Amino acid sequence: MIWRLIAMVVGACAILVGAVLVAHQSPVESLHTLIHGSLGSPAAIAGTLREATPLLICGLAVFIALRAGLFNIGVEGQLLVGACTCAVVAIRLPGVPGMILGVVAGMVAGALWALPAGLIKAYRNGHEVITTIMLNNVAIFITSALVAGPIKDKTQADTATAYVAASSRMPWLYRTPTVEVNFSLVLGILLAIGMALWLKRTVAGYELQAVGANRVAARFAGVSPQKVTMLAMTISGALGGLAGAVQVLAYEGRFYDGFSPGYGFDALGVALLAGGSAYGVLPSSLLFGMLSKGGTALQIDGVPKGITTVVLGMLILIAAAIRYRKVTTTDA
Amino acid sequence: MLNLLVLTILFSTPLILAAMGGYTSERGGVVNIGLEGMMLMAACVGAIASVRFGPVGEVVGGIIAATIMSSLHWLATQIYHIDHVISGMALNAIAAGATNFLYLKLSDPAHGSDLPHIPITIFCITAFVIPFLIWLYSRQTRGGLRLLSVGSDPDKARLMGIQPVRVRFFGLLATGVLTGLAGVELVAYTGVFTDNMTSGRGYIALAALILGGWRPIPAFLACFAFGFFSALRLQLQGTPLFGAQLPSQLWAALPYIVTVIALAGLLGRNRTPAGLGKH
Amino acid sequence: MLGITKIFGAVTALDRVDLEVSQGAIHAIVGENGAGKTTLMRILYGALQPDQGTIEVEGKAVRFGSSREAIASGVGMVSQHYGIIPELTCLQNLVLGAEGGLILRNRSAEARAKSLATQMGFEFEWQAEAATLSPAGAQKLEILKLLWREARVMILDEPTAMLSPADANALFESLDRLAAGGATIILVTHRLPEVLEHCQRVMVLRNGKRIAEKAVAETTGGDLAQLIVGGALERSEESSPFSPGSPLLEVSNLSVKGDRGELALKGVEFGLRSGEILGIAGVDGSGQRELFETIAGLKKPIEGSIVMLGNDARGLSTANRIAHGLRLIPEDRHAQGVVENWSLDENSALGLQRLPPFAKGGRVDGRARHQMATQIANRFNTRHGGLNLPMSSLSGGNQQRFVAARSLCLDPKLLLAFQPARGLDIKGTQQVYDGIREVCRLGSAALVVSFDLDELLEQCDRVVAMNHGRLYEPPASLAKDRDAIGRLMVGAQ
Repeated sequence: MIWRLIAMVVGACAILVGAVLVAHQSPVESLHTLIHGSLGSPAAIAGTLREATPLLICGLAVFIALRAGLFNIGVEGQLLVGACTCAVVAIRLPGVPGMILGVVAGMVAGALWALPAGLIKAYRNGHEVITTIMLNNVAIFITSALVAGPIKDKTQADTATAYVAASSRMPWLYRTPTVEVNFSLVLGILLAIGMALWLKRTVAGYELQAVGANRVAARFAGVSPQKVTMLAMTISGALGGLAGAVQVLAYEGRFYDGFSPGYGFDALGVALLAGGSAYGVLPSSLLFGMLSKGGTALQIDGVPKGITTVVLGMLILIAAAIRYRKVTTTDA
Repeated sequence: MLNLLVLTILFSTPLILAAMGGYTSERGGVVNIGLEGMMLMAACVGAIASVRFGPVGEVVGGIIAATIMSSLHWLATQIYHIDHVISGMALNAIAAGATNFLYLKLSDPAHGSDLPHIPITIFCITAFVIPFLIWLYSRQTRGGLRLLSVGSDPDKARLMGIQPVRVRFFGLLATGVLTGLAGVELVAYTGVFTDNMTSGRGYIALAALILGGWRPIPAFLACFAFGFFSALRLQLQGTPLFGAQLPSQLWAALPYIVTVIALAGLLGRNRTPAGLGKH
Repeated sequence: MLGITKIFGAVTALDRVDLEVSQGAIHAIVGENGAGKTTLMRILYGALQPDQGTIEVEGKAVRFGSSREAIASGVGMVSQHYGIIPELTCLQNLVLGAEGGLILRNRSAEARAKSLATQMGFEFEWQAEAATLSPAGAQKLEILKLLWREARVMILDEPTAMLSPADANALFESLDRLAAGGATIILVTHRLPEVLEHCQRVMVLRNGKRIAEKAVAETTGGDLAQLIVGGALERSEESSPFSPGSPLLEVSNLSVKGDRGELALKGVEFGLRSGEILGIAGVDGSGQRELFETIAGLKKPIEGSIVMLGNDARGLSTANRIAHGLRLIPEDRHAQGVVENWSLDENSALGLQRLPPFAKGGRVDGRARHQMATQIANRFNTRHGGLNLPMSSLSGGNQQRFVAARSLCLDPKLLLAFQPARGLDIKGTQQVYDGIREVCRLGSAALVVSFDLDELLEQCDRVVAMNHGRLYEPPASLAKDRDAIGRLMVGAQ
């Protein structure tokens, strides 16, 4: 475990240094900018946490699918339909009921969006990677069309819905002009804890992981892989939808065209780096949040944001390769 | 009418090239979701190389970049046995980040729109010929048969004395060349490189390959169909259809919806190569 | 082949075996599972290297580093698990690996294929997908593959395993034709009638040693069966008074399809009573696997019924059957019995995860599970470094002990065991069977599948034999007669 961390850090640093040198920037300076930009001040930390929140929830969505042996690449689309549905519902209902109903609507929408992929995988063995990516694109287009037409707020020029009533928004835990921390972060943390406990302490969680770990042995143990696939995809989709609803209710207040900067895609990296426990999604999403926020700071400094994505991609490959090595060496 | 045909050809060209690149990879058993990233790298590196080395540099640079990416995919999946999907997605992420980084940093914005113009016809002709060549290759050559066998059952192929890892290496090299051409076509056509300019074409190409049942000619037709819908969308944007205005996004979403339905088995039988993802 | 010796770890698979075959003859090699037949053949066609011994083909000494080299010397094998790739066409399957150049000359290839086929009396739709071939057809294609590569020594391993009697006869006609043409044919089989009818010479292997080699004309089925299974047991049998109770399992007219669409079980019928251990003998591939999986609920029969513990098992999922008291010791512990990456603690619940005390109303009771895991590990002295270590840290034998012990806990009523003592030494084997005997004494019943006839005869109350998908029970007077059962196993009467 410790070797894996060391190797990952070394590898990432090497890439960062290399790229930054190419950019005619001092690597030490850039690292400093990155860290300062993400953790250097209360405002920065708050910003990092804000970036991390959707990554956390989306990461949990991908994570639970991974535990069942499934790749849900469709979290992006599930987030969008969840956000869109939540906005539409919450606009019509002020107050706390609006918030709760919005969340539920978002989760249902997300779950429904993952359903076709789950069905096709469970009963037709059609690879869920392709179906979820396809559904992503459909979601992007459908929500885009909706928000440009039927659900658009006619009183504004933006391609967006109206704002959700202030009373329906997710409460802030701490708010000053420079620092904001939202309840949604706590929600995400609770979800992570809940998922970890569910996976470790319930029979259903046990059976889900059995299917992901050894499908054949799971069958011999009386578990139905089809049922588990459906369950995992549904939960995964619901969490993706939840992430979208949370974005609307906590941070954005409305749904608009171009809503997600790719949280769903980053979520795959978050889940892969999390390792074997749902608790791992917490530091993983924090890391991604740091890189995102710090990357913005780097951008101001002249280093393009893309470098953080490259680093993350390489981290994933290195982590996967190390896991492979570990497996073969215990095979003595 | 002619305009529609020309647009269709233009839009389907990069798709066809990428889809054929997907074929040489997947038909040999390597799941390749990274077509998007390979195209993107090719486009970016090609654009950068063209500034110094002209049109030839653009093509060569693009092909080299895409081939490096595909070789990494081969290394990750065949030597390190990393899950094919993870490798593909990671490579896409790296490509997205790297192209974002490289382009903004290395090229002079003033030169941005000054890229040498390569006649697109070359690409189009290539795109329309390659599927037939690949079809011939798979039917009539030893290499083609071995590719098919490795993708259908690598263990049984091994019994017959064939080395899947080696066959897949060459398959992925071809993937690099083809996706490289696809990426270069994009920059050559528009004359500039923009951030994330592939915008999902790599996935559509993969979808076309799947719709075509992993066969070159049907995949080619699928790409052509997708290109047609894109062209149609451009033509019909704004004009009312059946009395109502269908949002342009619905057209754009069509290829994806069709793929999902096809995978659900509603459009013919499941032709997934049996050895996809296997060692 | 002279003095061939092959040692796998602690097991001597082949001990100075000599084999001489002459041109134009069909030579049979017989023996039980584990006797060494397949190992010997794998050495001959290049998949394995002998530790000692030499091979000579047509007078020339050879050493085969791979199956390619073997083919180059004219030696090829048609294996039980056919090397036909279903997605490719028949012609493609035929030429794969021996294409004869970079460009495939399909027309001339097809012409040559047709002529080869006609010589053998075969017919193929060359452009059709190989998936459409019946098992008999696939095998014919395999034979043609060898002819295509101009093999002069052809090895067939259990060729009639999946064939109907008519197909089998046709196969032998083809083999006769080949032999007449000068080819050398080596037939590895368990089916003595075939040997007696179609082969010229026969060699018997037992426990890696060559027991006998004679002309078929000079021997009988009974003779051979005795040589295969060996003499009378020296071990003393202590049979505890056995009075069977109520029926716990009744299988009637069970027919099940195998993975390749052929009928793997044909009208199987038998009963199991409480207190009884029933042994299922038979060579690998006789249908035991399908029987095991069907009773476990993993396969659906196309005909027949299973009444288990008083319930009609149709419509009962595996989980339901486990809830009613079914327990499994699967054949392949690695693929079917454990999750290698999980800890012993987590593995202890596998299969039992819904039963108390592992589960308490949908929740996992960690403490109880830990206790159970300790019990399971201790029962058969599973050597381990800690219950939290992954299962992969255990040796194969210890994994088997763990899986066996797990199946015996929580009040099993019906135990299905496939080679329960696989990989265990004599002491470990006895421990496991003692454990099984214990639960049966308390009223349960056990069904044990094994390829080791001696083991079954020693440990079980009753032994039946499976052959070619059918189940045969020896007459009551010969209930545990080694010869009788041996004969049923290999199809000799």
